[in-house]
Order: sequence, then structure tokens, then C-alpha cells
Amino acid sequence: MQKSGTIEKILLEFDPEAKNLLLALKKINASFGYISEADAGKVADYFELPLAKVYETASFYDLIETKKTANLEIKVCSGGDCVLGNSAEIIREIENYFRIKAGDEFHPKVRLEKISCLGRCAEGPIVVVNGKAYEKVTKSSIYEILDKYAK
Amino acid sequence: MLNNLKIITEHWGKINPLRIGDYLNVGGYSALGKFVEKMDPQKVLEEVKLSGLTGRGGAGFSTGAKWELVMAQKSKEKYFICNLDESEPGTYKDRMIAENCPQTLLEGIIISALTIGAKKSYIYLNGSYAKAQETLERAIAQAKEHKFLGAKILDSKYSLEIEIFSGAGAYICGEETALINSIEGNRGEPKIRPPYPTEAGLFDKPTVVNNAETIANIPWIIQNGGKKYVKNATKLFVLGGSVKNRGVFEAPIGTTIKKAITELGGGMQKGKEFWFAQVGGASGHLFLKKELNVPMTGSGAILVVDKTANIYDLLLAWTGFFRRESCGKCVPCREGTFRLHEIAERLVDGEIAQRDKEALEDILWTLENTTFCPLGKFAAVAVRDAIDKLGILK
Repeated sequence: MQKSGTIEKILLEFDPEAKNLLLALKKINASFGYISEADAGKVADYFELPLAKVYETASFYDLIETKKTANLEIKVCSGGDCVLGNSAEIIREIENYFRIKAGDEFHPKVRLEKISCLGRCAEGPIVVVNGKAYEKVTKSSIYEILDKYAK
Repeated sequence: MLNNLKIITEHWGKINPLRIGDYLNVGGYSALGKFVEKMDPQKVLEEVKLSGLTGRGGAGFSTGAKWELVMAQKSKEKYFICNLDESEPGTYKDRMIAENCPQTLLEGIIISALTIGAKKSYIYLNGSYAKAQETLERAIAQAKEHKFLGAKILDSKYSLEIEIFSGAGAYICGEETALINSIEGNRGEPKIRPPYPTEAGLFDKPTVVNNAETIANIPWIIQNGGKKYVKNATKLFVLGGSVKNRGVFEAPIGTTIKKAITELGGGMQKGKEFWFAQVGGASGHLFLKKELNVPMTGSGAILVVDKTANIYDLLLAWTGFFRRESCGKCVPCREGTFRLHEIAERLVDGEIAQRDKEALEDILWTLENTTFCPLGKFAAVAVRDAIDKLGILK
């Protein structure tokens, strides 16, 4: 597969210094959606670090996934401003729509997560679906968004 | 009315942030010119100390004092870091600085870094700030073309490189030792102090970490002198929630919360009645109506909550936030934030038991007094205030 070719390419963009580890992990995450164990191994070899060290760093940050992500990733901002704009209600609507619960990993295809403030409070509530951010989402407009993806 | 002097927001919306020419036309980089031609690091330090400039990220440490500590270090290698992590919920003033006038920030970074003797500077940028990153990257490229950056700045003996380090989403990385850990490729956990970053910071070299807003004041101070700044110092406010005007505003430092809400924010939205304000983000105290006549402190975020708000949703947001963001390094915080959120969930479901109420007191005390870094303390603030002032347990 082409994948094995490109991870080496990504790594070669970075000098194997510790200060580039997080940046390299972010880039791999952006290309593949998550850091697989095999990929983490390659990163460890390239940076000459133990595999555990790579995981230690990778698992810490919100923007890096160490597990395969779901087909449909919905993230709802739960900062104070978005909550005042009813983001908690929006979460409940999404939970009902897919019959899931925020934070659970039981649904094979859909995952819903509450996330921390993205610093876009004036445009809130913010809902991020598969990386695309929707602004000023309401209890009813969320259905238009979900219908788009759920088909 | 509030004094209208603008130091940071002066050019916002009037110049194109993607064109350095616009900034030069309004007198940009003349502070750097003045520094290179007529001043030396010692003189800059004097002006900054005279200005009384303090950290605008929330902690409020004296900027001049911090610089002096690093300048006194003998190490040849020093680092200057601009803290633009800004993950405090409800705060986005630094993002606005980067997006609206990135060159002011760069000019400030250049002067600050050269003053403390750094040849390399990092901008630690919040990982979600994609637009700010693009804007800053272009600004850096343009500054290099004009010889404001790189080797031999404006044909002087000074040289400086600025690198953007985009974070990966972690609240605690706004704390300076955690931020340094993060650049070094580690988990963004805080380190024990001493040694302070001013002695052994990034790559164990003396390091200054300053908030972006703090740095954006530097060009003005160099241009107009530290003495003049004392009377004119400003602070950025971020107003959110149920006020009429939401957004970022610049107002004199010491402006009271009440004035910020009524004059900057234009008062409450139509038909909404003030309940309380949370000041300083998710880690901020709650202020009731009668408590608003105090000067604003901390990061500058004010979340105005009206009486129709669901306090339980807010409670879950606060406790959930700190549960997510606790780095797990120390037990009191890792377990404390987790249990706090659990109890909040039971409270919301109406299943809270007497046992929980008693445990709550223990947990809050533990968070306030025993955690490794301030995150634990922060986690307790809003919940404690909600119990004491809003009576959520009654």
C-alpha cells in the first residue's frame, strides 16, 4: 500500500531532534487520521527513541489520536460561552439522533465528543464534524448538518 | 466614558494583516529601528521596568523583572518564547492579535528577544489556530524580506530567527514549564520549580516566556517611553455570554468588571437579566451583581450569565473541562477532577447523596491545597463559588 511509502516521506521532512517529535506526530495524524502502532514504531526508530516515549507524547494531546478514528467524528464545544448558546442541548439532540452517548466508543461508526474551547466563542456554539467546523449551530440546524453526513 | 487610547487594537481592521507595507505605512517597525539605532538592551530593560508592564496571560508577573533574571544569566544560548497557546475557555484575545495585526506582535517579539540576548525565538501557537498560523507565517516571511528578521537585522549586529511551534491541544501547555516540555517533544506536563525557566528553561537554557498580549505592548513602550505607559496602560477584554456586544475590546487597565460589561459590552442583551459573571475563563471566580465594582484581573475574559441559563449544564462544562485537561501527573488533580465531574453528573441527575456532599468538601479542599500545579486549584474555583454564592447544593 502507498501508506507505508508516505510515512517515511513525512518523517524525512523533519530533522530527528526531540523538538520535532510532536510536529511530526501531528503531521502523521493529519495524513492518516491517527497514529497506528506500526507508524509509532517507525517514528521511534527515526527519532531513535523508545516506542513508549513516542506513545507517551502522542497519547497526551487532544489533537493526536492513537486509536483508529470513527467514520463520523462529531465534536461539540463545551466551553462556557457555547454552553450558554445551548451546546449541551445540541449534544443531547445528537445523542438521540444516533442513540449514542458523548464519550462512548460503542457505536461502530459514529463518535461524539465534548471538546474544550476552540477560541471561537463569538461564533459559537461550534460543532466540528470530521474536521469541518460549523458555527452558530442551533438545536434545529444540527439536524441539517447530521443529515448531510448520516446518509 | 472609558479613555479611548488604543495601544494594541489601534490598527485592527484598518490595515491588511497580510501586507507588511500597510503596517510600515502607519509607522510600523519604527520602534525596532529606534532600538537598533539609539538604544541597547539595558536601556530597553529600563523602559520596560519603568512602564510597570506585567504579564497579560493571567498571572501578572512583572515583565521587566522576568527579563532581568534572564539577562543576568551568563549562558550564551537563550530563548524567547511567545506564549500564544491561549486555551483558557472563553479567551481569544491573543488569536485576534495574531490575526489582525501580526506585525505588531512580531516587532514586539524581535525587540524582546534581542533585549534578553536570544537568537532564537518560538511562538507557541494554539493547535486549533489555523488562520492565525497562516497569517503569522506570512508575516514572518515578509519581515525577513525587509530585514527585520534573520541575520544582521537592519544591518546591525543583531540576528534572530522566529519559529512557530503549533501545539496539539492541551490546556496545561499554557503553563510555561509544560509549554517548554511540549516543545521538547515530551508530554505537556508541568515541571517542578526551581529551577525556574529563567535559569533552565527550553533545552535547559535561560528562557523568557511572555504572553502575546504582553509582547504586543512592547513597540509602543519603546516608541513612547515607559513613563508614559504607566498612565496609559491598557488590557484586552473578551466579552462573552449574554452581553450585547461580544468580542475583544481594549480598555484601560484597572477598568472594573461592571464598566466592562456596561460600557464595552453595551449591557445585557434585550430581555435578559444579569445573574452572575465568570471572570477569567473556566478557572475564574463567579461575581454576583453586587460584587462587580472591582478592577478586572487575570486573563481578561468575562462570561456574562443571565438568569435563563442552565447552571447544571455550566457545572458539567466546568468540571468536564478540568477532568479532560488534567494531565494525570499528580493524583489529587487526576482523581479530584474526575470525582468532581462524577458528583456534578449525579447532582444534575438529581441523585446526589449526603455522602457526595461531604466528599465534595474534601475533594475541593484537596484540589485547592495539594495539587502539583495550579490546574487543580483552578478546577475548584467555579464549583466552590457556585456552592457558596449560587447555592447549587440547596
